[in-house]
Amino acid sequence: MSAAAIRVVDVRKHFGGIVVAENINLEISAGEILGLIGPNGAGKTTLFNLISGIHAPDGGEIFFRDQALSRLSVYRRARLGIARTWQNIRLFPTLSVLDNLLMGPRHYPGEALFAALFQPGARRAAAHAAQARAEAVLARIGLEGARDKTPGELPFGQQKLVGLARTLMNDGEVLLLDEPMAGVEGQVYETIKQVVRDEAAAGRAVCVVEHNVSFIRDLCTRAVFMFNGRIEQSGTVEELLASDKLAELYFGGKK
Amino acid sequence: MEYIYSVLILIGIYTIMAASFNLIIGYGGLISIAHPIFFALAAYASALLNLRLGVPIPLAILIGALFSAGMSVMLSLPSLRVSGDYLLIASIGFQLGFIEVIKNIEFAGAASGLTGIGSLYSGPTRSLAFTVTVLVAAAAVVWLVHWLTHGEYGRAIQAMRDDEECFASLGRNAMAIKITIFAVGSGLAGLAGALYAHYFQFLSPEQFGIVQSALILTMVVVGGMGTTLGPIVGALLLTALPQAITFLNMPPSVMAPVQGMLYTGLVLVFLFVRPAGLVGKKAGQ
Repeated sequence: MSAAAIRVVDVRKHFGGIVVAENINLEISAGEILGLIGPNGAGKTTLFNLISGIHAPDGGEIFFRDQALSRLSVYRRARLGIARTWQNIRLFPTLSVLDNLLMGPRHYPGEALFAALFQPGARRAAAHAAQARAEAVLARIGLEGARDKTPGELPFGQQKLVGLARTLMNDGEVLLLDEPMAGVEGQVYETIKQVVRDEAAAGRAVCVVEHNVSFIRDLCTRAVFMFNGRIEQSGTVEELLASDKLAELYFGGKK
Repeated sequence: MEYIYSVLILIGIYTIMAASFNLIIGYGGLISIAHPIFFALAAYASALLNLRLGVPIPLAILIGALFSAGMSVMLSLPSLRVSGDYLLIASIGFQLGFIEVIKNIEFAGAASGLTGIGSLYSGPTRSLAFTVTVLVAAAAVVWLVHWLTHGEYGRAIQAMRDDEECFASLGRNAMAIKITIFAVGSGLAGLAGALYAHYFQFLSPEQFGIVQSALILTMVVVGGMGTTLGPIVGALLLTALPQAITFLNMPPSVMAPVQGMLYTGLVLVFLFVRPAGLVGKKAGQ
């Protein structure tokens, strides 16, 4: 296995008296799909928040390649190539689908005013390139027709796809997907599965928080089981699903 | 005729003020009341550069505007680091504090005001030339604010206001955008202030208080917050209206309270009846 893209070392986080992360050690490697499972409140999303910089850990360190992340703000981590989705999607409601995607590239000169004033040509070229890429991503998920709609006009499953597509625009090394399958079925389910598989095959380190066990079983090479802010067990998906501990804590005894 | 020119110049200057304040509060969502102080800082800087150091007036106006933009960073950088709400509180202190500072600087005329400021133009066509200059500047400012808030930069501003955390998680620097918006808006207020100084040739620290903040806020609210043309409508209306009242020949002791009540009343009426302003779309459209 190649070197870890993300390395979480002894990370600890408390909110008041509530432990949301305790002694977390974890690696996500390039090309793998790591499953993160556990009941609600286990600390899975918190772990994503710690990696993407929304929360600062109370202790420990998170590394991207060999770079310590704790002093970097949210946007700087995204610019390194750590992209994430959200459980509740969080598309920009007032922007079109295409414009939502165009907020995604981590290096985009659209907001560089000096470039706008002094290098209008270069900026225009970058804008065209970004738009072409956004259209290609939309075509890949079968949503070419939705480019000028606002997110509110799309059914839930398609909103999920757009959220995923916006993350793909980052084009970085790490993808953190928070419950990509929740509330999704049919064609959209298959599309998301294919996209996740392709992204890992393209060499990205993918980590998926998911309750859908068959999704985890189909896609993940390795999985981690979290409970009460701790990693209870990690290993291959088969090992984990066969474990009594997981059956007891997650499925309530009925495996 | 002279009177009409001066009213037109005031409308132009207030259009710049309202359009730039609209950029900050309407588009940027940054709640500050200190807009008139950036007008004042540039007005004084430009006037003094010309008066005391002999800097040519057009250059002094430019330096004054840049000075205001720079000073705005002193306010926005520390307060926005804490939170958006803090900016409002800090802006009140910033404005009141600087008014006191100006009142105590002897070479800036102190509390009695700065007189004898150089005029940008001279000769018989002075007022006409000035009117044209100010109206062209106002049009340019309205266009600049429109350009900033539409297209790619506008898209980023919009996304930032929709969901700042998500915006940051996509690799976008919200802080840089806010400070830039605040600096550009304040610099434009400075431009208005410097133009004002070199036309009216007199500045007094009393002109830049909270009442002035209220007036500009009223213009933005009445015209339509977050619209391109709203500030023009607001500036036109709220400059013309008090001028119209002067024809009623009321004694000054009645006049000032009537104007104050007019601003406050208008803001209240508009917030209840038409929160999007005259130009903005009605709710639900």
